[in-house]
Amino acid sequence: MTTPPPPKRAKREEYRRNLQNQFEAHQNPDAEIADVKMPQKKFFRQRAHANPFSDHKLDYPLSPAHMDWSSHFPAFIDPDTSKTTLGGARKLLKDVEVVDIGCGFGGLLVGLAPLLPDTLMIGMEIRISVLDYVRSRVHALRIQQQKLKNGTAAQASAENSNNAEASVDEDEVGSTTTIVPGNYENISGIRANTMKFLPNFFAQHQLSKIFVCFPDPHFKARKHKARIVSESLNAEYAYVLRPGGLMYTITDVEEYHHWVLRHFEYQSEEERAQGGIKDLWERVSEEELAADPCVRVMSFETEESKKVSRNNGNKYVAVFRRKADPEWIA
Amino acid sequence: MASFQQPLQCVQYVKQQSPSSGEFLIASAGRHLYSYAATTGQFLDVWPKNVESNTESAPEDQAPPEKRRKLSSGADGLEENLKDTTAPKKSSGKQLPEWSNIPILTTSFDGKYVIALTAEDKCIRVFNLGENGKLEELSSREMPKRPSALVLTPDGQTILCGDKFGDAYSLPLIPGEYLPRTEKEKAYKPAATALTVHSRRNLESLEQQRIQAEKAAKNGGVKKPSSEEKTSLNFEHRLIIGHVSLLTDLIAVALPTEATPGRNYILTADRDEHIRVSRGIPQSHIIERYCLGHTSFITKLCSPSWAPEYLISGGGDNYLLLWNWGESQVLQKVSLEGLVQTPEPIVRGIWAVSLEQSAATVKAILVALEGSPELLSFTIEEDTLKLQDTIQCFGNVLDLTGIDSRGSIAVSVDTIREPGSTEAWKSTSGTPQKLLEYFQVSVEVESLKWKPVEDPLATSINSAGTSALPAELDDKQKKGFDDILYTLGVLRKRAYD
Repeated sequence: MTTPPPPKRAKREEYRRNLQNQFEAHQNPDAEIADVKMPQKKFFRQRAHANPFSDHKLDYPLSPAHMDWSSHFPAFIDPDTSKTTLGGARKLLKDVEVVDIGCGFGGLLVGLAPLLPDTLMIGMEIRISVLDYVRSRVHALRIQQQKLKNGTAAQASAENSNNAEASVDEDEVGSTTTIVPGNYENISGIRANTMKFLPNFFAQHQLSKIFVCFPDPHFKARKHKARIVSESLNAEYAYVLRPGGLMYTITDVEEYHHWVLRHFEYQSEEERAQGGIKDLWERVSEEELAADPCVRVMSFETEESKKVSRNNGNKYVAVFRRKADPEWIA
Repeated sequence: MASFQQPLQCVQYVKQQSPSSGEFLIASAGRHLYSYAATTGQFLDVWPKNVESNTESAPEDQAPPEKRRKLSSGADGLEENLKDTTAPKKSSGKQLPEWSNIPILTTSFDGKYVIALTAEDKCIRVFNLGENGKLEELSSREMPKRPSALVLTPDGQTILCGDKFGDAYSLPLIPGEYLPRTEKEKAYKPAATALTVHSRRNLESLEQQRIQAEKAAKNGGVKKPSSEEKTSLNFEHRLIIGHVSLLTDLIAVALPTEATPGRNYILTADRDEHIRVSRGIPQSHIIERYCLGHTSFITKLCSPSWAPEYLISGGGDNYLLLWNWGESQVLQKVSLEGLVQTPEPIVRGIWAVSLEQSAATVKAILVALEGSPELLSFTIEEDTLKLQDTIQCFGNVLDLTGIDSRGSIAVSVDTIREPGSTEAWKSTSGTPQKLLEYFQVSVEVESLKWKPVEDPLATSINSAGTSALPAELDDKQKKGFDDILYTLGVLRKRAYD
């Protein structure tokens, strides 16, 4: 005998089915559907922690040359159909360059999208429901942009502004009423365990920016190995990041901030003399950060940063530049 | 009925450099390390000595069971450690070592040192191998996690150790004096604050922590060791590479380059199908490239010293890959289907041998599968592995070593279990029980032939035996012995959501 799924789950499933149907309806250009609803987070919530060491059922490419990005960035597919990846999929006109590790609900990507309209950006998230939300959110934003461009804009935005105050669910964030550069065609999300499989997705020196925003602090000492920043992982970040590329970090936990500093910067001259992974990183100055719009987005536009602001919490930012590899010591 | 003898888990041929030029065979069986003369098979030494060497007991009885550790070494881990060392052993009468087997064995290039890992206590032990074949233990270093690979750097001065936690360490072959870092005792301060935790329950437990800390401070302060202290090792070591996966193999390769004197690399393989190519120490934090091509866990890497530009890798995915690893390029995918009878083959070992023959030096790659008596042999010709004669052994292949100077290989076999099975025990092994087989190579019409030979090395080791297993073993005890020799099956993933 099978027990029926709990009502909460049934509700979630129904909601997501309807959302999917809505998206599919919009695939038809003649469809006369006035409004595109943004997905609601409450149907996508998932426990905040995931065990990065367990064998999740994950999809990941054999190598970066096998990765199929075409479903993520259809607007950037190379029109030359003869160009294919090693996995047989269509190639893109450009490579993904920016990665948000642990992208959560995708606030950073949505904030960065208009800032870097010609740069392909991907959010990586291990929690499957949260990632589903990101995909739905990007999908809805793209359809909205499409409609705005098609001229139904005037009508739709009028409608939107009429009942904006009345009906916009607080949970249903991020509707746009103006055409933004890039039309959100340059962002997407993918389910992945980056601690294990980052080099499967990105080739050496492929990336120009990596973001780690409000990572799971793993407070207990015996959980520190699960932290997303460590000397071992910093070696992998240095591998996928090109020389001159930037590693952005932000956290609301002071101790974690010091952990981050400790794992990117030498703490003593003695340590520096020994050498190691910290040879490859240098901290970016405050002045430079003040001029970087990405830092502003990271600090104020992500879901977590808003939550921290509401809670009057502190935000600790540290950005590191990847230096060139040193000469070989035979 | 004669009881079974412990099979030889590892075998290693050693030729010492002049002036002695001694030739030895070092082997591990059960909890012992043996040294034999390589020409005659004459027994020379055993380590440890102060143990009754003729009866071994089942691993469940006396040896501590394999520790089921949590992923991390937190407060629980420490307590566990303390318990382990202070708890009286069940068999209080006998002085039994703390390990039941020696799964890794290697030697220095000059043949003067033997490096072995004792399993349950996770100790790397370095021995001096005397000109008379005597083994003298020089050092024992307990690692934080069970090592899965031990190799020496090309200069022979440093041990590289990869472990099941995904970390690789470097330690000097001969440990010098070590001054432990003195760290200041810090008062415990929770990293979380009311600003960083949000749920009501978390806020409550944070408050509880604060109260506890205050109480402890009043009572003179119960020391709560920091995580660094717990993991600190009391010998010189350095964490050089880390995977977030089980590290399954590690090799150090010197690659000659045109202009420079040659570059050192470290290649590491993990359970998540990665082969990582890092620079050699002291720049091992720089990842040069990955070799991605496996679709299941990797168990073995082999780069022949006579052709270091090649890499042969294998694991649980039914094929071998031949790499031009300097370019991350797969040169050849050798399917094992049809070559072997094992249904879901797992590569147990890949060996590159260079055997001196009357006419020429024979260079060959030998591949054994977990729980299989078949030994595949290949030569490398024009960027391909060319299949040669397959050797049928008497029992499952456990390990092998090239007896270079005599154009032969010595293969240690498991004749306790039925050939092809990792768990079906025979009723009797036959006397004397075969522990070692000896094959001589010859070149016939451009292809390799392996001929079994009755060599004194094998015959005298087989007749002398190692140590006996208890005559009566129940299924659980047998399973315990199976799990010591056949460890690779558990690496296969059972994926869930």
